[in-house]
Amino acid sequence: MASTRTDGPLTPAVLHILLVLSTQERHGYGIMKQVESDSEGKVRMGPGTLYGSIRRMTEAGLIRESDKKIDPNLDDERRVYYGITALGQQTLAAELQRYRQVVAVAHERSLIPKAMGA
Amino acid sequence: MDGQTRYRRWYRRLLGLYPRPYRERFADSMEQTFTDLCRERAGTEGRGHGAFILWIFTETFAGIIRERATDLARWTMARKATNVFRIVKYLALAIGGLLVAGIATVMVLARGTGEDITGVVAPALLLTLLSVVAAAVAAILQGASDRRRHSAGDDLAG
Repeated sequence: MASTRTDGPLTPAVLHILLVLSTQERHGYGIMKQVESDSEGKVRMGPGTLYGSIRRMTEAGLIRESDKKIDPNLDDERRVYYGITALGQQTLAAELQRYRQVVAVAHERSLIPKAMGA
Repeated sequence: MDGQTRYRRWYRRLLGLYPRPYRERFADSMEQTFTDLCRERAGTEGRGHGAFILWIFTETFAGIIRERATDLARWTMARKATNVFRIVKYLALAIGGLLVAGIATVMVLARGTGEDITGVVAPALLLTLLSVVAAAVAAILQGASDRRRHSAGDDLAG
């Protein structure tokens, strides 16, 4: 069984990969670049972290391997694409709900600086 | 041989340190990603390029250690399961053997007395049968667990 839990807080890498794949299928390098872009360069994943996470997430049923396709923007090499599963969507929604609750508590206690909360 | 080709060759060698199943599944994609990253950084050769390559190698090496540790943990768990199934198998066989001995003793003692021992022997026979079934199931599970352990052992070796 995979070590990626689907019922608790997700690791930053897993959360970002799910976020990236929630809109469209991507290959490894595409995931890496989109994560970097989504996090404004704050989250940098190397191939070791990326593919380790992909292995655990496929075993946990959060994502699945798609067919090999060519990325017209890169080269003519065929690449393995990954897509999110229904369980992955549910897990992402649950995690975002958890974040929402945390932010709500932080708002209640006026913990969020005005510049950020505005 | 240019720098990119040399780095790619070294990276391919590094990927050889991953457990075999992982390597067979992801090594090509990882190498492809490494090439993409190098291509992206091609314009910055000499300006932090060495540090970037070092970061990729270090990060991948950390990934190798993680995957090896995961495989080792799985192998240990499989070995524990094998031992549990072995104990269950021998315990079930011992109980079955004791029951057979008990049934034989009762039959010998009751011989010639005309006493009806069906009420004792029938449940004992049923329990014997259940013990044999339990031993057989434990043996099958032990075999399966053993195969998994060997396969995990191969992964560790691979």
